[in-house]
Amino acid sequence: MNSSKRLSLIGAFLLILVAVPLFVKRNDILTWITFTLIYITLSQSWNIIGGYCGQQNLGHAAFFGIGALLTRYVWLAGVPLPAAMLLGALAACIFAIIIGFPAFRLKGVYFIIGTLVMAEILKMIFDTILPRANVLPSRMLGAYSLVPRYYLSLIIAVLTVTIVLWISRSKLGLGLLSIREDEDAAEALGVNTQKNKLVAFMISTFLAGLAGGVYAYYAVAAQPGYLFAAVWTFDAVIIVFVGGMGTIMGPIIGSVFFVLLKQLLSLYLPGGMHVLVFGILFIIVVLFFPGGLIGLIEKLRRTKEGGAAN
Amino acid sequence: MAIELWSQTFVNGINIGALYALTAVGLSLTFGVMKILNVGHGEFLMLGGYLAYWLLTLFKVDPFLSLPLVFIALFFLGAIAYKLFFSVLSGYPEEQKVKNSLLVGFGLFLVIPQIARLLWTGDERGITPAYSGSSFPLLDVRIAYVPLGGVILAVIVIAALHLFLKKTYFGKAVRATSENWKGAKLTGINVDRTYLITFSLGTAIAGLGGVMVGLTQSISPDVGMEWTLKALIVLVLAGIGSIGGTLAAGLTLGILESVGAIFMGPYAVVLGLVIFLLILMFRPQGLFGKA
Amino acid sequence: MLQVENIDVRYSDLQVLWDISLEVNEGELVSLVGCNGAGKSTIVETIAGLVTPENGRIVFDGEQLNGTPAHRIVERGIVLIPEDRGIFPGMSVRENLELGAYTPASRKQSKDSFEFVYNLFPVLKERHNQTAGTLSGGEQQMVAIGRALMSKPRLLMCDEPSLGLAPIIVKSILKVIKQISDSGVSILLVEQNLKASLSISQRAYIIENGRVATDGESSCMLDDDSVVGAYLGTC
Repeated sequence: MNSSKRLSLIGAFLLILVAVPLFVKRNDILTWITFTLIYITLSQSWNIIGGYCGQQNLGHAAFFGIGALLTRYVWLAGVPLPAAMLLGALAACIFAIIIGFPAFRLKGVYFIIGTLVMAEILKMIFDTILPRANVLPSRMLGAYSLVPRYYLSLIIAVLTVTIVLWISRSKLGLGLLSIREDEDAAEALGVNTQKNKLVAFMISTFLAGLAGGVYAYYAVAAQPGYLFAAVWTFDAVIIVFVGGMGTIMGPIIGSVFFVLLKQLLSLYLPGGMHVLVFGILFIIVVLFFPGGLIGLIEKLRRTKEGGAAN
Repeated sequence: MAIELWSQTFVNGINIGALYALTAVGLSLTFGVMKILNVGHGEFLMLGGYLAYWLLTLFKVDPFLSLPLVFIALFFLGAIAYKLFFSVLSGYPEEQKVKNSLLVGFGLFLVIPQIARLLWTGDERGITPAYSGSSFPLLDVRIAYVPLGGVILAVIVIAALHLFLKKTYFGKAVRATSENWKGAKLTGINVDRTYLITFSLGTAIAGLGGVMVGLTQSISPDVGMEWTLKALIVLVLAGIGSIGGTLAAGLTLGILESVGAIFMGPYAVVLGLVIFLLILMFRPQGLFGKA
Repeated sequence: MLQVENIDVRYSDLQVLWDISLEVNEGELVSLVGCNGAGKSTIVETIAGLVTPENGRIVFDGEQLNGTPAHRIVERGIVLIPEDRGIFPGMSVRENLELGAYTPASRKQSKDSFEFVYNLFPVLKERHNQTAGTLSGGEQQMVAIGRALMSKPRLLMCDEPSLGLAPIIVKSILKVIKQISDSGVSILLVEQNLKASLSISQRAYIIENGRVATDGESSCMLDDDSVVGAYLGTC
């Protein structure tokens, strides 16, 4: 498919997405799409550090949480939403810089476990300091509409995907991929691994903070501890893995399937079964199909083309 | 502060610390020998607890008597899990093996609680035999029977494991495999089978821990990760390769948390995790491990 | 006794051995010589079952060995002492030797084996409780050889036993290998040290770039200046 055809396809798709709230008034569909867009943002942001750079950071929820918490409180205090979200995302980014230095000193397994533990610490702290759910004040409750939430999540999702696309085509992206393949070799070839990792981490956490900001705007009631719950990390991770690490379409397709599965399965089975399905897919991907769904599709397409050429 | 409070705190710390040690020792074995950090370790603990719960409520089997049954069951479950998920990785180069096994364990952590939820619902279950709450006085403290049983169990299991590794032929083969698997193969040791048995031993011991968790606290589908984290903290405190060190580290963590609860209240839970991070960054070989 | 017939070996996509054929007869001491990276270690690792050949056959006492896992090959009587010695550094000398007698057959004879090894290497008896990792290079090599002997090998393969050792120790190690050969054990000796290796063996194969370049009687090769010269020249 050539690029102008692809561009027009994407454009058409986006147009449809923009038009949806004008014709569809059902809240459950709008919620479903909004959630999918939030997940696309969250998973793409993890994709930068985990997919392209190969640093499987399991503390992603911390940045989502910081972004969400700060945005929520600042916005409810009267600050206009865009500024609040920016603040939230910046806070997440700053926190990333602070812990980035010691975190990246840990190698491999220790990095993965260390980031997980760090996020858990944050969750426990906030569970203890702010145990009660934060609910929107009554004046806002009355005026609550899903439509602005929908458009906000769409804007942020498009922004995130664009940024990831830009990274993938840039020198930074090349550097990240080389680090993923073999960090020592990359270093020997002159790639400044520390700088690259840090930059990727900053972008990744900034976007995660934005995703948190969208959620903060969306949620009627939010328990602060829940904003830091590990499930936000894990959902992003399995979406990226199953969809296809280090690809653009991977997290997008992954998010769509994930949220779809979640909505469908919750109708017939107790909650959480979508995790069961995705968890099994995750294990299969780790063991047999490291390229995820996208990788699988690529492989099938290539063998078909190879066969056709014969 | 009153001496009785200190003593009781100390006893509580020993009680919970013994459980921490028991949970950690299985993980230590697996990681030390095979370099597999099974992040799904706590899930096997959870399954062990549920099994004991079933045995008690359905068949009236006393939890302490059900320990051997749980051990055998979780041994087999572990063997199946190893064959299905981890043995594929044994040929990989070490760094990839460690990372991928972590991811696979993570997958188990995602999947097993959902299965548990289907089988037992999300409610918390306690294993409560008739003697659950009873205790006896010793000097100024009350010693509860059930946690005491846990401490004795932990000591017996860890001592047995230590003897097994030191004195038996197969135990020596396990140690040899962890030191040099190539050399082990060349002396006639079936390394694949050694890995299988080691992994299964780890999950079996975790199952025993689960029984104690059910007896002293409660079992729910999500309880696994919490205990995996505790085991990781103990592991990092103790360092790899020291079974006795694991017992000491577990008890230390228990006592630290117990004392911490007095001064820090609800924040004491964070204590262990913070210590974990600090040690990871500044002394990765742990307090008792080899550098 | 041992026939290796036309084996090819690959490490993932890279072929390292082409059409290797060699044989070791009962009671012989055969040398495998060649430069670093020629493929000598790969050959013995393949015979030992650590690596699976792509084509060809490995036959021992009439039975085919291809694809047999390493621990079973030890049971058949072929024992490899790898280049890095393969000992267990955290365990004592005695435990290392003990593990050599892991297979059921060798375990029955472990008492006699211990006596044999301690006679051969009295220093190991002295240090039998010492942690193997703290021994000197030469002593570790003794542990490696001793452990291999505990497995009651009929064919012993030694990969670069002289590596990293002082010349005087190399001499004594090679003397021990000759002694083992005299006791009836067939030996396949991988060595970079051409002269030392050829002086104790009956036959030799020269391996170059993953192929058998020449083979023949060791004494002839030693006297043949062209062989020695070419070998020393290319390494």
